[in-house]
Amino acid sequence: MTQIRKPTLTLAFFVLTSKAYFLLAQTQGTSQPATSGAVGQPIPTPPKPSPAFYRNLIVLDPAHGGRDNGARLSNSAVEKEITLAFAQKLRPALVAQGFTVIATRDSEPSEELTTDQRAGTTNHIRPLACVVIHATAVGSGIHVVASSLKQSDAKSSAGRALIWNSAQAPTIAMSLRLANEVGLAMEAAHLPVLVLRASIPPLDNLTCPAIAIELAPLQQASGKGTPVFDSGYQQRAAIALAQALASFRAHNAPSPVPQSAGSRTGTPQ
Amino acid sequence: MIPRYQRILFWSLISCILLMGAFLLRGCREAHRRLTALNNVNPIAAPTTAAKEEVALYMASDADATIRSVRSEVALPQDPSLRARTLLEDLLAQYSQPDSAHPLQSGPAIDDVFFLTDSSLPSSNRTILVNLHGSFADNHPSGIEVEQLTLLSIIGTLHSAFPEFTEVKFLADGQNRATLSGHASLDRGYPLVDTSGRPTAPTEEATQP
Repeated sequence: MTQIRKPTLTLAFFVLTSKAYFLLAQTQGTSQPATSGAVGQPIPTPPKPSPAFYRNLIVLDPAHGGRDNGARLSNSAVEKEITLAFAQKLRPALVAQGFTVIATRDSEPSEELTTDQRAGTTNHIRPLACVVIHATAVGSGIHVVASSLKQSDAKSSAGRALIWNSAQAPTIAMSLRLANEVGLAMEAAHLPVLVLRASIPPLDNLTCPAIAIELAPLQQASGKGTPVFDSGYQQRAAIALAQALASFRAHNAPSPVPQSAGSRTGTPQ
Repeated sequence: MIPRYQRILFWSLISCILLMGAFLLRGCREAHRRLTALNNVNPIAAPTTAAKEEVALYMASDADATIRSVRSEVALPQDPSLRARTLLEDLLAQYSQPDSAHPLQSGPAIDDVFFLTDSSLPSSNRTILVNLHGSFADNHPSGIEVEQLTLLSIIGTLHSAFPEFTEVKFLADGQNRATLSGHASLDRGYPLVDTSGRPTAPTEEATQP
């Protein structure tokens, strides 16, 4: 008998129970057969092609979790707890902007997902953007990170696979625009921000626009710092990030024309 | 009624206690100062007959995420492998100075450096393999920015010293390692390029498709 590994089951459970499942089920529409042809037999309608991405869908990836604690930020705080807390603050701010939010974890998982599994899940549900959340005790302010891959012209299509380690390359221009939007929003919120490029898993494996947000302590002129686990600091950053994502959607995925634009392959929904 | 001699004895003992307390406090401060000074445990340079050379060290700063090229004089051996290892050890030792802008823990960091030159490959594919000490990676501060700056610092310094090589790969204790300290990827090759620079500031123009 074939043995199915626990992480595979966890991943399958996550995908099946997520809201993405309902979104896909609604848009692919394979259940209604067409009317009869000349001989009276029902002709199955070809499945509606999936859209390139869902313009109101955001994936949050609070990094680390399970046995992977991430960075130790103080005697009592580890990175995996901060990333989860920030994701929980970010979710309502995004919902208020009209987004549907899916997170790769909503609690402390008993069986952690690898970064490859998180990237696979995200690629499958085709969000407008993916935000990977990190925290650190080094540096100051918000670090907005896009992949360091070079732009490539390779397109993701049904007949052509992307190389896993450089799957982000065709989308890097959009990711850089997203990082720029987030940088502007953080500056508008009077939060110090650095827009960087780095190679960190799973950014390079994502096919959607993707950035990592790294929260670092706020260093003030008086010498007193605000730690990353400060609730007010996280709230300010979350609101600015949600505004940036809404602005990114307005610039890069404007609302489609109701009649025809949504039904073709490669159009956002 | 407490006799006079007992009162004198009591206050004498109190004075002794205070004096001893002050003496101990001073001793503690001295010891703390000595220990703090010991944190600068850069290895003393071994006696060498090699002449000092001027090299470019690409120094990172956590505050603004910049990499700056700094000229420094280092005694380097002739053997390329040892030369690269000495150069990187000297670079990383700079970061363990108390006033470093990119503080790293002191200690050995580079185990070996190998130059992969396959004569069957075109000259444009020449790789440097840096084998880090596992303890260096384990004790490295954790974070995207800080880990990326360490890698960029190593890459820029190697590019400056060995411009004929095009790529660098990293191992830790001779094994593949996914990330340096939980964030920056180590399981891919990095192009050897000039890494000096600063992050680009966000602009309104860059938001338009």
